[in-house]
Amino acid sequence: MNLKKIRENVELLDFKILKLLNDRMELALMAKRFKSQIEDKEREKELLEKIRRNSTRLINGEFIERIYIEIIEQSKNLQRKDYNLIAFQGEHGAYGEVASREWNSDLIPIPCSESAEVLEGVETGLYGYGVVPVENTLGGVVGQVNELLINTDLNVVGAVELPIHLCLLTLPGTDHREIRAVYSDSQALAQCRHFLARNKLEPVQYYDTAGAAKMLAERAPKASAAIASKLSAELYNLEVIKEDIEDLDRNMTRFLVLSKEGNTEEGDKCSIIFSTEHKAGTLFRVLEVFARQDINLTRIESIPHEPGNYAFFMDFMGSERDDKVVRALEEVEKITSTLRLMGCYKEKKVV
Amino acid sequence: MENLKLTSLKGGDNRRTVITVDNVKIGEGFVVIAGPCSVESEEQTIETARKVKEAGAHMLRGGAFKPRSSPYAFQGLGLKGLKILEKAKRETGLPVVTEVTDPRDVSWVCEYADVIQIGTRNMQNFSLLREVGKVDKPVLLKRGMYSTLEEWLNCAEYVLTGGNLNVILCERGIRTFETYTRNTLDLSIVPSVKELSHLPIIVDPSHGTGRLSVIEPMSLAAMAAGADGIIIEVHCNPREALSDKHQAMPPDMFAGLMRKLQVLRSYMKEINQCKKVKTLE
Repeated sequence: MNLKKIRENVELLDFKILKLLNDRMELALMAKRFKSQIEDKEREKELLEKIRRNSTRLINGEFIERIYIEIIEQSKNLQRKDYNLIAFQGEHGAYGEVASREWNSDLIPIPCSESAEVLEGVETGLYGYGVVPVENTLGGVVGQVNELLINTDLNVVGAVELPIHLCLLTLPGTDHREIRAVYSDSQALAQCRHFLARNKLEPVQYYDTAGAAKMLAERAPKASAAIASKLSAELYNLEVIKEDIEDLDRNMTRFLVLSKEGNTEEGDKCSIIFSTEHKAGTLFRVLEVFARQDINLTRIESIPHEPGNYAFFMDFMGSERDDKVVRALEEVEKITSTLRLMGCYKEKKVV
Repeated sequence: MENLKLTSLKGGDNRRTVITVDNVKIGEGFVVIAGPCSVESEEQTIETARKVKEAGAHMLRGGAFKPRSSPYAFQGLGLKGLKILEKAKRETGLPVVTEVTDPRDVSWVCEYADVIQIGTRNMQNFSLLREVGKVDKPVLLKRGMYSTLEEWLNCAEYVLTGGNLNVILCERGIRTFETYTRNTLDLSIVPSVKELSHLPIIVDPSHGTGRLSVIEPMSLAAMAAGADGIIIEVHCNPREALSDKHQAMPPDMFAGLMRKLQVLRSYMKEINQCKKVKTLE
C-alpha cells in the first residue's frame, strides 16, 4: 500500500463516518417524537459509559467522550428545531427522496425499507408526511402501494410528477474505459438496455437504484458503475459519467404525498376511492355523473379488494370547493357502497 | 482507383450522399462548423459556441482527446471535455463534432457527440476505422497529411464496409516544401473527390494554412471550389488558447467571414446556373 492508496482509503472512511453521523442525527429527530423533553441526563450518562467501555489503544476513553459530547449536543440542537419529517421508500438518493425534495425542500427526508413502513410511520405520527409512488409510464401501476392506500385513512395532500432521469455513476477517478459491471435495480437496467449494449457493459441486478450507488461508494468494487439518480451521485460522492442514459425519454413516475392532517390550501386536483355494488352498470353510472358535470378524469384504477369485489381509485381535475365537484360527489355518494375523498391538492409537475 | 466499391460514384448514377445531423444537412448547401481547437473549460467552450452560433455557424467543433505532436503538450480534458461539449449543445442547440483517438473511446464519444472525427494522424489507423465503421454516428474523416487521394478514399471504404455509410471527407492541407504556411491546402482535391466519390467533402482552412490572415481567403476559395462546407477554429480569446493559438480566429473576424460567405454563395448559385445552361447547349 502506498501513500496515495492510503489516502484514498482515508477519504472513503471519512465519507462513511459522515454518512453514519447523518443517519444518527436522523434517528435523533425520530426519537424526539417519543420524548416529552429533549434533555435526558440518565440516558446521556448511560451512552457515554457504553462508549468508554469500547475504547481501544488508539481511541482512548477521554478522546471518544469528547467527540460524543459534541455529537449529543448537536443531536439536542436539532431536536430543539421544529423539523418536520417526510418518509420515502428506498435508500437515500431514491427517486422517492427526489420527489419529496421537489414537493417541499424544507422537510427532512427519512428512508424506509418498505412502502408499508412509510404509511405506518405517518399513521403513528413518527413522520409528518410520507411519499409513495403510484404509477410509472413504463412500469405501469405500483400494485403494492395501491393495496396499501385502500386500507389507510391518511389524506392525500400533494402529488409530484417526476421525470426519471437515470445516470451512470462511478467512484471518482474511475477510467470510463475500464467499467465492466453496472449495478442497479432490474427496472432501471431494463430501461437502459441499449445504452449498456452499445458500451459493452454487463448489467448486474441490485435491490434498489440508490442502494446500488450506496454499495458502490461503500465497497468500491473494481471496474464497476451504478445506475441511479443524480441526487445519489451527490449523496454518495460519486462521479456522473453520463446523464439521461435511459433508452426512452418518456419515463415519468407519479408520487402521492400523504399526511394525517388534511390539506388546508386550495387544490386543483382530487383523489377519491370508492366501491360499488356487484351489479350491472354501477361503475358506468359513477362515470356518468362526472361526464354530466363536465369534470375531467385523469386516472382510474381498479384494485381487487375482496374476491369479486373491486375498489376504484379515481383522480380528477377540480377543487373540492367547486360547485360541480360538490354536486358530483353528492350524487356519487348515493350510488356507491363506500366513498372517500382522499384529498384535494396541488400536483407538481417537475420539468 | 480499384476496389472502392462503396466509396466511388456508381457508373451513370450521380446520386450524392447527404448526411443529416439534427436539422443540418451535409452534402446539400454549405455547412459551417466552428469552435475551439480544444475544449479548455466550460466557460471558454460555451462562450465560443454562443458566439459562433450568433454569427451563423451550423455546428460546433471542439477537441476533448487531442493527439499532440509532443507528449508534453496539452492532451485535452478527455471525458470531462465531452461533458462540456454536451452542455454546450444543450445551451446553443449546435450539434457537436469531436475527435476520437482511441478505439476504446469510440462508443463513449458517440454518447456525447453528433459527429465523430478521425484526425489526420489517425487516417490510416485501421483498427480505429473499423471501430467507427460499427457505430451509428457520422464520421468526419480528415485527409492524412502525407496521403494521396486514393489512400484517403480507401480509408473511407474501411468505414463504409463496416456498415457506417455516413462519411464526410475533410481536406486539411498536406506537407509540401513550403514552410510559410503550416500545410499546403490542396483545394484541387475538392473537385477531384466530386469526380470520383458520392461522399460530401468539406475543407479545414485553419489547419490547412495555420495562418490567421490566410484562413478567410481560403475559406472563400473552398466554397468556390465546390466544397460542401468548412470546419474552422474559432476561440473566444485566441491569445489564451492552449493549442493552435496562431490559427484561432476571433469571433468578430469569424462573423465577418460568415457575411462574405453569404455574398459568395449567391454568386456561386449564379455561376452554377451558367454551367447548366452551357451543358444544355
